[in-house]
Amino acid sequence: MLVFLAQRLFAALITIWIATIAVTLLIHLVPGDPVRIMFGGFQTTEAELEAIRTRLGLDQPIWRQYLMFLGRLAEGDLGRSIVGNQPVLDILLERLPATLALTLASLAVAIVVGMGLGFLAAVKRGTWIDSTAMILAIVGVSMPHFWLGLLLLFLFSVTLGWLPVAGGDWRSLILPALTLGLATAAVLARMTRSAMIDVLDQDFVRTARAKGLPGTLVLSRHVLRSGLVPISAMLGMQFAYLMGGAIVVENVFAWNGLGRLAIQAVLARDYPLIQGFILFFATIVALASVVIDLLYAVLDPRIRYAK
Amino acid sequence: MTEILLDVRDLTVAFGTSRAVEGLSYQLARGETLAVVGESGSGKSVSSLALLGLLPPRAAQVLSGQAMFGGTDLLSLNDAELRRIRGRRISMIFQEPMTSLTPVLRLGQQLTEGLIVQEGLSARVAHSRACEMLERVGLDAPERRMRQYPHQLSGGQRQRVMIAMAMLVQPEILIADEATTALDVTVQGQILDLIRDLQAEFGMSVLMITHDMGVVAEMGDRVLVMHRGQKVEDGHVSDVLARPRAPYTQGLLEAVPRLGAGAALRSAPRDTAERRVILRADGLRKSFARRNWLGKTQAETHALDDVSFDLCAGETLALVGESGSGKSTTGRAVLGLMPLDAGRVMIEGRDLRDFSGSALRQARRHMQMIFQDPFASLNPRLSAARLVGEPLVIHGLARGQELTDRVADLFRRVGLDHGHMTRYPHEFSGGQRQRLSIARALATGPRFIVADEPTSALDVSIQAQILDLMRGLQQDLGLAYLFISHDLAVVERLAHRVAVMRAGRIVELGPTDQVLHAARHPYTQQLIAAVPVPDPALRRNRSALAYDGEMPMGPLTHVAPDHLVAQ
Repeated sequence: MLVFLAQRLFAALITIWIATIAVTLLIHLVPGDPVRIMFGGFQTTEAELEAIRTRLGLDQPIWRQYLMFLGRLAEGDLGRSIVGNQPVLDILLERLPATLALTLASLAVAIVVGMGLGFLAAVKRGTWIDSTAMILAIVGVSMPHFWLGLLLLFLFSVTLGWLPVAGGDWRSLILPALTLGLATAAVLARMTRSAMIDVLDQDFVRTARAKGLPGTLVLSRHVLRSGLVPISAMLGMQFAYLMGGAIVVENVFAWNGLGRLAIQAVLARDYPLIQGFILFFATIVALASVVIDLLYAVLDPRIRYAK
Repeated sequence: MTEILLDVRDLTVAFGTSRAVEGLSYQLARGETLAVVGESGSGKSVSSLALLGLLPPRAAQVLSGQAMFGGTDLLSLNDAELRRIRGRRISMIFQEPMTSLTPVLRLGQQLTEGLIVQEGLSARVAHSRACEMLERVGLDAPERRMRQYPHQLSGGQRQRVMIAMAMLVQPEILIADEATTALDVTVQGQILDLIRDLQAEFGMSVLMITHDMGVVAEMGDRVLVMHRGQKVEDGHVSDVLARPRAPYTQGLLEAVPRLGAGAALRSAPRDTAERRVILRADGLRKSFARRNWLGKTQAETHALDDVSFDLCAGETLALVGESGSGKSTTGRAVLGLMPLDAGRVMIEGRDLRDFSGSALRQARRHMQMIFQDPFASLNPRLSAARLVGEPLVIHGLARGQELTDRVADLFRRVGLDHGHMTRYPHEFSGGQRQRLSIARALATGPRFIVADEPTSALDVSIQAQILDLMRGLQQDLGLAYLFISHDLAVVERLAHRVAVMRAGRIVELGPTDQVLHAARHPYTQQLIAAVPVPDPALRRNRSALAYDGEMPMGPLTHVAPDHLVAQ
C-alpha cells in the first residue's frame, strides 16, 4: 500500500515537473516579445524594457531561466504579479478557498445527481425511468457551462428571485455549483449506468441473490461497491474537467476564485500570474488524481494487494 | 427413504418466444442425488434457476408448472416469500468459481451475511460458524481466509468457499450447477468427494446439474436426461447408463470420449522410417518475474522449465496437464509469440530466431493456431468468408476470384456450406465456429497447427465431429498437430504421443497407449485416476488421488525406447 502511494506521488511529481517546463516555455512560445506585450503600452523606452528583461531574467538563455525558475520555486517563490506587484503565491492562495469550495460543491452535485441517476437507470434498466435519466444526461452533456449558467441565473435569480446573482456567501455558491456539477453529473450518470449494468450481469450478483439476501442489500453491498471501482477510476479525469469548467463558471457568476483570476491575468497579460496559475492548477489536478487513485485502491482489494 | 422433498410438475419456461424448458416433471427424494444431464441449451440450468426465482428478470418467464416443496409451490411465491427458502432451505453453487464471489468484499462478510440476515445470528456466532464450515470443506487457516478477498484464492479454493457458503445454512436441497466443470480434474475429484461427504453428513438432497456423464456416474443415484427443454429419459443411473432407452441418450453416451476406448479411432502412427521432424523444441525456458516498483525481482514463477520435444509431419503430440502447468505457454512459445529466456525452437531444421522480416512472415504461413473459445476468437464484425480468407490476403497468396474459390474450397473442406460464406460469426453454432477457425488456420497451407483446447467449449457430440474433422485433415494433408488439452479421453482419440506437463516441466513423454495405460509418473497416474468414468461400477479410486510423496521433477530418462519419465 505504501509502495502504491509512493508510486502515485512520484507520478504526480512528474506531472508537476512537466508543467514547470511548459510554463517556462510558454513565454517564449507566445508570438512577439513578451516584455513588449506586457509593458509596451505604457510608452516605455527601449532602455526601460531592457531593464525589465534583466529584472525578469528574460535576457538569460532559456535553460538558465528554467533553473532560476526552479530555484525560486523551491523557495516557494512564484514571482510577483506585474499588475498588482504582489507575490503571485499570495494572490493564488487568497483565491484558492473560493475555487475549492466551488469545485468540491460541484463534485458533490455531480456525484449525488450523476451516480444517483445512473444507478437508478441501471437498476430500472429498460423502463421509463431509465430512458428519462438518459435523456436528461444527454441534455446535460450537450449544454455548455455558460449557457446553463445563464439559464439558471435567469430562472432562479432574475425571475424567481430565490438566489442571489452574485456575492460571497453560501447561497451564492448554489447556482455556480449546480452549473458546474450538472454537466459532470450527466457524464457520470452515463458511466455509472453502464458500469452498474456490467456489475448487475455478473455471476456474483446471482450468488448474492441465491443466498436469499434482500434486493436492497444485494444492490447496496454487492452491486454498488463493485460498480464504484471503475467509476472512481474515471473520477480523476472528471475532476480535471471540472477544474477547467470552473474558469468559465466563475466568470459567469462573478465568483472570486482562481478561474476569474486567470481570465483577469490573461487580459492584463500578467505573465508571472498566468505561469503561477497554470502551475498551481496542474498541482491541484495532480494531487486530486493521487487522492482518487487511493480511493480506487481502497475500493478494489485487487489493486491494494497488487501483484 | 422415498419421502419426496421436491416435486416438479409440468414446468415450462420461456425466453421470449422460445421455450427453454417445456413440460418438465421430476421428483427429488430426501437424501438422494438426482443428476440432471444435457448439452448446452437443453434447459438443465434454466429449470433449476426457475425454482429459486433466479432467472434473469424480464428476459425469462415461467409459463406454467408447479414445484411443490414442503407443502408450498415455489413457483407461486413472491420474492420475499421465496427468500425465506432460497439460501436457507435450498442453496446453490455455480459453475464459475472465479466470478461467483464478489471481488470487493472479504470472504468473511460474504460467508456470514446470509446467516446474519436470514437467521438473525449475531456477527460473532456467524463468524465462528463460518470458520468451522471453512475448516470442514478443507480450507486451512479459516480465520485468515475470513479476512481474505476472493482474488487471493485459487479456483478450487474459491469453489470450496462457495460450497461452505451453501452448506452453512444446512440446506435440505443443494443445487450444484456445473459446480466442477471449470476445475482441473484432480480438483474436481476432491470437490465431488467433498459434496458426497457433506451429503452423507447432513442428509441433504443434491440436484447435480452437469454435462459430464462421468460426473453423473460418479455422483448420481438417479439421472434425468434433458434435450431441447424436454425430459428425454430418467431412471436409476446404473440402468440409464448401461441400457439407455431413448435414442438421444444412446447417442450422447456413445459420443462421450472414454479413456481406453479412443485408440481404435486414432489414425495409424506414421512409420518411424519416414519420420520427418517439423518442429523441435529444445530446452525452452521462460519465467515470469514479480517485480517491486524499483524493478527488483521479488519472486519468479517458471512457466517453462527445460521443455524439449519434437513433432513430426502427420503426427499429433498432445500436451496435457492442469491449469498453470505451462501447456498453453509452450504452444505460444513454439509459434514465436513469446520471447524465451533460453532454448530454441527449430522449424524444419532452422532456428526460429534466425528468421526475420519477410522470412519470418513466410515461416508463419506454415504454423497456425486454433483457439479454445470459438465465440471470442472470431471478429464478430467480419463475414465468415473474410475471416477465412484473411490469412490469404495478409500473405498475398490470392485475390479476386481466386481468393473466393480458395475460400469456398476451404469451407467445403471443413464441412461448411458455400452459403455460409456471407454469414457473420454470431449466426454460427459453437461447432461451426470451430470449423471456421480450422478453415482459417488451413488457409495458408500450414505444416503444423497448435490447437489449444479446441474442443473444450463444445458439447460432446460436436466435440467428436471436430475431432473427426481434424483427424481427416491430418491424413489428407499430412498436418502435424500440437494438441493442447486437459481432457485425457479426447487426447486418446487424436494423439499419437502424449507429453504430460506439471509446473512448467514435462514429467512424462511417450506413445499415447503407454502414457495413458501404463503411466510411470505418479502425476500422470493421479491425473488418470481423477477422470470420472461414465460407468457407476467404476467409481474413482480415491487412494490414487492422494499421492503423498514428493513428485519426481528431475530430468527425463528413458524407460522404454520412446517413453521418457522424469526422475
